[in-house]
Amino acid sequence: MKSSLSLDKLLQVRKSVMDLGNQTHAWPYTVKKKVTLIISRISLYLVLSALSFVFVYPLLFIVSQSLMMPSDVSDSTVQWIPRALNLLNYKDAFAALGGSANRTYWDAFGLSVVISFGSALLQVFSCALAGYALGRYRFPGYTACLSLVLFAFLVPPQTIVVPLFQLFSDFHWINTFYPFVIPSAMGHGLKGALFVLIFIQFFHRLPYVLEEAARIDGASAYRTYWTIMLPLARPAMLVVFLFSVVWHWNDMFEPNLFLRIPNFYNLSQTLGIFNGIGSSQIDAATSGLTAAQTIGAAPTIMNKVMAGAMLSILPMLILYLFTQRYFVESVERAGIAGE
Amino acid sequence: MKKRMRLTIRTRNVLEAYSFLSLWLIGFALFMAIPLGRSLYYSFNQLKVTKEGLVPNWIGMANFRRAFSTDVNFIPLLQDSILGLLIQVPLILIFAMFAALLLNRPMIGRTFFRGVFFLPVIIASGAVLVEMLEQGAERMPLFTSSSLFLALVDIIPRDVLEPLLTLADKLTLVMWDSGVQILIFLAGLQTVSLSLYEAADIDGATKWESFWKITFPMITPMILVNTLFTIVNSFTSARNEMMLYIRDVVFSKNDYGYGSTIGWIYFILIFLLIGLVFLIFRKSLSSTEGRR
Repeated sequence: MKSSLSLDKLLQVRKSVMDLGNQTHAWPYTVKKKVTLIISRISLYLVLSALSFVFVYPLLFIVSQSLMMPSDVSDSTVQWIPRALNLLNYKDAFAALGGSANRTYWDAFGLSVVISFGSALLQVFSCALAGYALGRYRFPGYTACLSLVLFAFLVPPQTIVVPLFQLFSDFHWINTFYPFVIPSAMGHGLKGALFVLIFIQFFHRLPYVLEEAARIDGASAYRTYWTIMLPLARPAMLVVFLFSVVWHWNDMFEPNLFLRIPNFYNLSQTLGIFNGIGSSQIDAATSGLTAAQTIGAAPTIMNKVMAGAMLSILPMLILYLFTQRYFVESVERAGIAGE
Repeated sequence: MKKRMRLTIRTRNVLEAYSFLSLWLIGFALFMAIPLGRSLYYSFNQLKVTKEGLVPNWIGMANFRRAFSTDVNFIPLLQDSILGLLIQVPLILIFAMFAALLLNRPMIGRTFFRGVFFLPVIIASGAVLVEMLEQGAERMPLFTSSSLFLALVDIIPRDVLEPLLTLADKLTLVMWDSGVQILIFLAGLQTVSLSLYEAADIDGATKWESFWKITFPMITPMILVNTLFTIVNSFTSARNEMMLYIRDVVFSKNDYGYGSTIGWIYFILIFLLIGLVFLIFRKSLSSTEGRR
């Protein structure tokens, strides 16, 4: 500690000596430095704020569109803020997000919750198991197994669509949540291989001392894993859980494959068919208009669809509101970027 | 019990490792290896839907010939999606790197900005993104407004300006797509030791030089990770047209064999692309090894 301090001081002295050498400017060096610092600070904030606008734009767009009434849409003075706060769009969207006549929003919502939170929870534990094996042990076949994980990460799901669908219909799992939950329970499912890689990376960096101490004290490998290593992996578990929830919630590819009747649609799908109903009406209404004109004068059904979009994404927004810190920090703490 | 005592530590270790891994391996066989093999087999067959399920009928390379000659949709789609990836990946990487460098500066409100930059990952993906694209939400009024166009058309010739503004439109999508990549770069930047920059500063290196000589080489592994992630992420993206086409072929036209064939062609091309990525990175990765 002390030696590093004195080193810092040495560097400072060296720097100030060099600064002295630079003082041939019209302004004193410190003032000039301060001015450039302030300018760079201001431009940093300007750039960041401009970029932030692009990133918040989708949310602003959804909120603003979803609150607009027909009168606001046709009124050219209304750009962003509707004339009156009107939640009628939300009422209609809430009804439509059930997907079919005998379902409500909450049915589709419940299915989405089971699929995303259920799969995420299972993936956390199953991927941790595989990650622990590959992050801590060296065994014959290690390289082969590691390559299998990488391979599973890189295979496009497009390629195995047909056999997977066949497999799940043989099991009579179509229109249930099993095609999401069961592969997740085995460390697969949506981006399962990526999660295994995260755990491998994390376990790989933990010190071996704790584990060895537990083993010497007579704990079995499984007990060591469960009581010592897994609790240590909490940051990685958090990353995997949060990302898995969000990705499952937003995913359209697997639900569209395995949930095939509107009675078993989840939220992202009911939003999709809501728009399907809407767009056919739009086509009829705007068939004479060019694409550019349609964007300006979007028929009011789209405002309802935007209300639907808000309703379908609101649970994730609330989750993000409370866990934002973990999302952003945990990637660092989990050491995904390790080696 | 007696038998277990006779195991050497090494055998026990191997057994333990495989017992931890077994669940995943069984899953791999069930949900990856067997489907992959079956889909390869199907790609050489025509599948008939009967009461007993799918009945394969061997037709050799006919499906592949169809993909490359008679199917008018497939080749353009394939070109589009591969070309789209080739353009998108570098754009996302450059933007994510730029954003990560900005967000890595010590400043007030850093957590806030990071949270904002990650927002599109939460909302602008999947079904919601599709709905918004349908409404033209990716076309920010900033770029499409006629006043901007009219203001710039005097300075920049129309032929240059129009594609430029279209590109700006596309950039919003690139930016929305780069949330995770920004986080990965940020995490990478944090692992670079500050003393390296101090040393470079004392030796008189400019910020620009120390970026190319320190930051860039140190985060090459993250560039590889991000490249792979961007490619893999595009498979299940709601905007992946290959996915939509295969779904259409399989579930609307019930052409299971042909669906498997185009799936495999896509797979092979993607693997060639990924192989190329690894080839490009091999040299730079081996040179950074052991520096950490």
